[in-house]
Parts: sequence; structure tokens; C-alpha cells
Amino acid sequence: MFKGEADLIITIPSSTELLKMVVELTRHVVEILEFPGKEIQKIALAVDEAITNVIKHSYRYERDRDIRIEFFTAPGGLKIRIVYAGIAPDLDPATVSVERLIKQKRKGGLGVQLMRKIMDSVEYSSRNGLNTCEMIKWKKREAVS
Amino acid sequence: MKNFQLRSRIQDQVAVIYPRGHLDAHHVERFEKEIQRMMENRVLRIIINCENLDYISSAGMGIIMGYLDEIREKSGDIKLCCVNNQVYDIFELVGFTDIYDFLRDEPAAMKAFA
Repeated sequence: MFKGEADLIITIPSSTELLKMVVELTRHVVEILEFPGKEIQKIALAVDEAITNVIKHSYRYERDRDIRIEFFTAPGGLKIRIVYAGIAPDLDPATVSVERLIKQKRKGGLGVQLMRKIMDSVEYSSRNGLNTCEMIKWKKREAVS
Repeated sequence: MKNFQLRSRIQDQVAVIYPRGHLDAHHVERFEKEIQRMMENRVLRIIINCENLDYISSAGMGIIMGYLDEIREKSGDIKLCCVNNQVYDIFELVGFTDIYDFLRDEPAAMKAFA
């Protein structure tokens, strides 16, 4: 199981300029944990999607708000917790097909779906004005050393 | 080198767009403007050559998705080529590989529009 305290905490301002830095940091963490190569890019992408959603929907592109990213490690697993203020997420639990999004000429709607497909669990919660997105990924059993 | 670069060309009424590097929400506006520019010029057969695209998030995929219906309604299409395995995996994850033509190389994509 995961420890109560994070192994790594980083707080960034809510700017899309920093997305690549967060992706690179996540890649490093995932590499250190020896996740299979194919998972590295995907887990980093899930974090990108979560942060992008915060900047876009919760902070409406305000650039001076804080986003705290916490990495928790456990044997064979990684938990990433993203803590932020702003507008609480209002997520549709249903999966929307790409065909439908195309028919609706939508340019969004893929981010949370990607997160859910990549990670083993994705949970959002809000309390006392703070929002949390918590994602967990476990190594596949055969890949655990 | 910049994180994201973009160039394009038009040949035989087919636009080829070459995104290079890391395409995320920070750089997506430029990518969208290029697609819009092609559509405004009535170039509705578009190839996205992903040979040098290292990374794409849903922001970039959303642009490819958001204009497809309008382009197909006008008898155009968007095709992708030269996609590396990592980026292909992401396209596959969201179901793009069932909807778009993914071609091995640019000549094959041009031929598919012939």
C-alpha cells in the first residue's frame, strides 16, 4: 500500500507552459519505478490531461493559481494526487464515443477518458474549497520484480 | 530547439501538415490555426505527417477530431501517416484508428487521396 506521505511533491503555477516539464518529471518517476516502457508515455499523458483540465476548467486559464502534484510510491504501484482550488470538476461518468464527439464537432471530451483508460483508477473529490484528482497505476503482475 | 514546430505545404490540392515535437495544450492553438487556414483556402484533403511528432495529448487530438465532420461533409478528409509506435498507441487508445486512415508513409497517404 501507499505511505501516508508523498515521496515527491511539486507545486506549479497554472500555466500550460509547464505541461512539458510535468510530463518529463512524471516520465522520470515512472522510469525509476521500472514500469514497462509502453506505460511510461501513457502515465505521463494521464498527468498532462489532469493538469490541463485543472488549468482549463477549474482555473479558466488564470496563470497565477497553484497546482500541487504529489507522487506516492509503493511496491509495484504509483499514486499521483493533484490538489487545486478553483471550480470543482463536473465530470460526466459516462464514456462518450469518439464518433459522437466528431458528430458534435467537439474539440474536447477526450482527456478524462484517456486518464481512465490509462490508469487503474481515477477519482475526483472536493472538500473545503480544495479539489483533488487521485490516480493510481499498478504494474501488471508479471512485470512486478 | 523549440518544443513544438509546424510547417505545411500544398501539393495537388492536398495539404500536408508536419507537426514536430511535443503537441500539448500549450501549443495547440498554432496547430488549430493551420487546419483552419487550410479549410479557409478550401483545401479539404489534409494529411498530417507525424514523422517528427514525439507526443500528442488530447488537446491536439481534439483539433483533429473537431474539424473532421465539417471536412467530410465537404467531401474532404484528414489522413495521418508516419506515426511512431508510442503516438499510435495513444491514437488507438481513444479509438482514432477506427475512424481515420493511418498510412505508412506520405506517398501512400497522397495515393489514398488520388
